[in-house]
Amino acid sequence: MQKLPKIQDFKAPEGYFDSLPDYILEEIKPHRSIQWMKYAAAAAILVVSLGVWQFNSSETQFETLAMDEEVNLFIESQYWTAEDVLAMVDNPEEILDQIIAEEMVYEVDMVDENDQHWY
Amino acid sequence: MKKNGDQEILQLIQDPTTREMGFRKLILTYQKRVYHVIRRMVLIHEDADDLTQNTFIKAHHHINKFQGQSSLFTWLYRIATNESLTFLEKKKKRHFLSLDDHQKKMESYIDQPGNIDGDEIQRLLQKALLTLPDKQRLVFHLKYQEELTYEEMSEITGTSVGALKASYHHAVKKIEYSISQE
Repeated sequence: MQKLPKIQDFKAPEGYFDSLPDYILEEIKPHRSIQWMKYAAAAAILVVSLGVWQFNSSETQFETLAMDEEVNLFIESQYWTAEDVLAMVDNPEEILDQIIAEEMVYEVDMVDENDQHWY
Repeated sequence: MKKNGDQEILQLIQDPTTREMGFRKLILTYQKRVYHVIRRMVLIHEDADDLTQNTFIKAHHHINKFQGQSSLFTWLYRIATNESLTFLEKKKKRHFLSLDDHQKKMESYIDQPGNIDGDEIQRLLQKALLTLPDKQRLVFHLKYQEELTYEEMSEITGTSVGALKASYHHAVKKIEYSISQE
């Protein structure tokens, strides 16, 4: 390894480190008013959705149950793989993110030594 | 072990009236090292930029939990390396589902003119490094590039010194073999 040179680092764009601190500090500033509006919007959507669902549920209940059973049958019989199911949904990236987030619980101050396999 | 600079930064952060100043000082002190340790792992600037920001944002959220048993640099490196490995893992899972081949993206990044300064050996080294598993690549960078001690690396990765030595040994052998084949 002595014969090999040090690896040259990739260069950051010109002026990147001059603006990075301001950018990060702006990101971590609390934005209370926006936060409050987000919660209000989420609550409003929830109330409207519940109303619509209540209104429609009696008509679609049997149809949904039948469809759920059919989907479960396909999955349980392994006719559909996880990839097939993901390919059918509108938001595979979001679902993947959720799965990964659940599988890889991030711990800043605690990393279980037993979980690390380095070679 | 805390350095004097770290103590000053932590004191500023602990006082609500100087918290922002303290955090700015933390970023200014460590941004280049954090950025480069991440960039060596993810190669592409835009990804390294996101992960560097995430590292400092997470450091900001968790700074009260920082016990001071290690240096700030070790603690930040720990967050940065976790961020990088998690990012690469996520990309690999997506590739498994054919959504995104990030490995190929990194390989072609090395080949793009202007991204690597220096001679052919630099390009070969970068290519050889990409053939290593991510954690082994990280160990190689921390030892060979950063010249950290195994004890420091152990603090950062939460892995035993013995495992790190073995991992570095395997990495070096693989790189030497890859280079000799070219």
